[in-house]
Amino acid sequence: MSAVALSRPARVLRIEIRRSVVPWSVPLILALFFFDSYRTAAGFPPNWTVHASAITNNLAWDFAPFAAGLGAWVASREGRRNTGDLLATTARPAWARQAAALGATLFWLLLTFLAAVAALYIQVALQATWGGPPLWPVVVGAVQVVTLAVLGFTAGALFPGRFTAPLAAIGAFLLVFIGFHAALNLTPDSSTNALLSPATGLPLEDVGVFYHVAPDVAIAQVMFMGGITVALLGVLVVAPVFRVRGGLSGAVGRAGRPLCAAGVVLLAAGVAASWTAFALTGTAKLGVSGWDIPALHDAASDQPIPYTPDCAGTAFPVCVHPAFSGDLPAAAAALQPVAAELKGLPGAPVRAEEVPAAGEGVSGTPPVYHYDGNNGIAPFLGSPAGADNARWRAGFQQELLTEFIAGPPNAGPRPDASVLPPTAAQQAVITALMTVAGSQAQFGEDMTNGHPTAGATPAQIDAAAQRFASLSTAARHAWLAAHLPALRVGEITLAQLP
Amino acid sequence: MNIELSDITRKFGRNTAVDRVTLEAGPGVLGLLGPNGAGKTSLLRMLATILPPSSGQLTLLGRDPGNPADRREIRRRLGYLPQNLGYYPSFTVVEFVEYFALLKEMPPHLVTKAVAAAVEKVDLGSKAKAKLRTLSGGMLRRVGIAQAIVNEPELLLFDEPTAGLDPEQRVAFRALMRDFGQTATVVVSTHLVEDVGAACSEVALMSNGKIVFRGTPAELTVRGETGQGVGDAPLERGYSAILAAARA
Amino acid sequence: MTAAEVRTQPAAPASPAWTGAPGVRLAWLHLRSRRVPGAVLALAVCGGVLRAALHWHWTFTSGFLAQQFPMIIGGGAAAVVAMTTHSPFGEPERATGRWLPYLRLGTALAMTGMAIGVLQLAVTGASLNGGIFTLARNVIGITGIGLLASLVTGGLLAWILPMAYVAFAQYALLEAWRNPWTWPVRPPDDRGAWICAAVVFAAGLAAFTVRGARTAPADS
Repeated sequence: MSAVALSRPARVLRIEIRRSVVPWSVPLILALFFFDSYRTAAGFPPNWTVHASAITNNLAWDFAPFAAGLGAWVASREGRRNTGDLLATTARPAWARQAAALGATLFWLLLTFLAAVAALYIQVALQATWGGPPLWPVVVGAVQVVTLAVLGFTAGALFPGRFTAPLAAIGAFLLVFIGFHAALNLTPDSSTNALLSPATGLPLEDVGVFYHVAPDVAIAQVMFMGGITVALLGVLVVAPVFRVRGGLSGAVGRAGRPLCAAGVVLLAAGVAASWTAFALTGTAKLGVSGWDIPALHDAASDQPIPYTPDCAGTAFPVCVHPAFSGDLPAAAAALQPVAAELKGLPGAPVRAEEVPAAGEGVSGTPPVYHYDGNNGIAPFLGSPAGADNARWRAGFQQELLTEFIAGPPNAGPRPDASVLPPTAAQQAVITALMTVAGSQAQFGEDMTNGHPTAGATPAQIDAAAQRFASLSTAARHAWLAAHLPALRVGEITLAQLP
Repeated sequence: MNIELSDITRKFGRNTAVDRVTLEAGPGVLGLLGPNGAGKTSLLRMLATILPPSSGQLTLLGRDPGNPADRREIRRRLGYLPQNLGYYPSFTVVEFVEYFALLKEMPPHLVTKAVAAAVEKVDLGSKAKAKLRTLSGGMLRRVGIAQAIVNEPELLLFDEPTAGLDPEQRVAFRALMRDFGQTATVVVSTHLVEDVGAACSEVALMSNGKIVFRGTPAELTVRGETGQGVGDAPLERGYSAILAAARA
Repeated sequence: MTAAEVRTQPAAPASPAWTGAPGVRLAWLHLRSRRVPGAVLALAVCGGVLRAALHWHWTFTSGFLAQQFPMIIGGGAAAVVAMTTHSPFGEPERATGRWLPYLRLGTALAMTGMAIGVLQLAVTGASLNGGIFTLARNVIGITGIGLLASLVTGGLLAWILPMAYVAFAQYALLEAWRNPWTWPVRPPDDRGAWICAAVVFAAGLAAFTVRGARTAPADS
């Protein structure tokens, strides 16, 4: 586009963009992004929703101090460079000049931010087997960067001292931290206003996989931060009025009523938007698709996302959600040996299938072992891609055995994911079967609380497990076929194990 | 008349910087002389619409600067060079002048040419793309002059414009002022009487916030010959004679 | 004709308000030129925010995350100290006598001590995870980074590198890094962390004392 064709504001903006101080900080921001957000997300499973959480949780830390500090720095330029009087003699009003400076600052910050987001999404796109890039986290993150920059800019414009920039940077850091702290302490029974913080930790299980991510909270966050931004812009518009001497009426007269009115309207609108968002988040409730805000909620987002599971294994098929297809070979390989030990026993599952949380257990006809993220392939921490592959494998196998042997027979899905602690005999049998499968069982101390056979020591349980494991496969299978119902209800003692 | 001041007063707390000044000026070059603290800069800042008068009537280019719409119109036709010029070191010469041309709401299609012309007029064409931080003090002053004249103003205000300029540049600047003075009102506040003598068609001398002399440089010279003026040049003697009389 | 008749009598020279030692006067003027009074106010703000956070439980009270908030405040205090390296006089000040390096050294040391003292005052009576020694170590080390940064960016932008380091330290905290050069995340009695922080501070102090902050305009 030729210089002549550009409008006046665009040309001023072009100069500001070219001469902005922000690009000098971009290498530092990108270095932080690499060490913090990128490397953190690299440890996540290839799940779009989980990766996107790095935008609001980690990228915010990387950008917060620079957005606010550089915003304050740019805004205080006129005071530092002694150009105030000279610029005051020009026709364009102060808000127009400031808009150009702020626009250039936001241009570079958002460009860097979007480049960082692109890097994160490319990282997951190269590995993901299902789903697509969520946009709401990007919107929330971008609005957060803008809000912090405007906050710093307003501070710099109102207090153009040399300490404003670092204090604005620190203030932004602390705001992000306080919000993160409040969000981490969130429970369904506590005040839910902390949902206004974009940094909320890792996403709830199943959200973005089995269920849609409800945009309710994201909408409220954007409304809250957007309202703050608009209110601050109103302050910027109105502020020069109060610096003019001669009383308020004289100042209003000199600055122009329309300008004052516009500033007041912006301020009021911004405060109203933020307050509305604050009130809305106070009504949030935990639902299947995450936190729902009734006034913003669309019931359609509560419907499960249809999918076709990926399955592997012929003797004992193991199925996973297609988002975790990369883990399917490991999951199938882990369950085959333990499933072989259970094959033919009354109520033994004939296949395993991944389901949303609170749906685990052995149920159906024929019986199917249903496992969820916590007990099998978790969306973030407990996956074969995690640090300790053997530990994950053992845990996955143990859950199947525990559900089958210690869970109520055909109890079906339980709303409460906890299983009653296995009895000593149940532990011994599970341990023995794991040993045969080549893994090591892990039970917490004193797992026999409240059962008739309470009081057995770990050493006694281990000894019984070794005895049971040393039996031939046929003998072990025959004993289980005969005694499984009694074992399940806790009537078998350690001494009664062969 | 481009400048009409009637009983203009400006106070800063208890200090009266400008004391009931009445002044009219049309096209031409008006020199503003006076000792330090006489009120020249305060008067200039009021003419530049950045400082409102405490009392009195001020009309610039036929408009009231107290009215926002009128003030904006005045600023479109105004050029101002303050005594202490602030600048952004990372801007180039052209960018700095262009920035002010755009802020003065010049028609966009005229800006590029006007900027080039202004930069050439102050003889900085070879430094057009140089960053401001690489320029000497005198060159920076010329950049300041360029931003003041880029919009072909009808009211041009200079506060110590030749500070830092070499003699050759000063001569060129005086010619520039005379050139602009043919159509616009140029007010130049300076301590250098030779600038006044060479370029100004009228002189106003301020002391303690008041205008104590208004006339031509020749009339000022006469006052030096008849009064008790001291100095090496006739204008200097006229200057000191009037000040002595004012203080007496 | 002489000038005697028209010259006004010069006013009597104003008597100086200060009658103390010239060295003290010089130090005070130097501190004022570095906006130290404003810096003390900024440090007080940092201390006040830390106190408020501890009082109203804005932060984690135990566990490794409890180090985050004090670390940020310590970084902010260090950034404020780094900002006092800016000289408004530029080159003319460097073309003076021998006192300038001593003034720089004294100011940097005094401000660092002031920062630690103000933060100590803020946490008195409150329970600070990691204790005041960790906070002091962080302020010392990050101030060293700020002093080194001032040689490159000038005093007014010397806050950027300390802020970047604090952001980096947040990540190191979450990843439980053990390197001594991530001293803010190390335990209070970690000798390597103390040595590293002290070395960085000493290097920054020495370089700043000798060379001073860069005097070119920070915008460039």
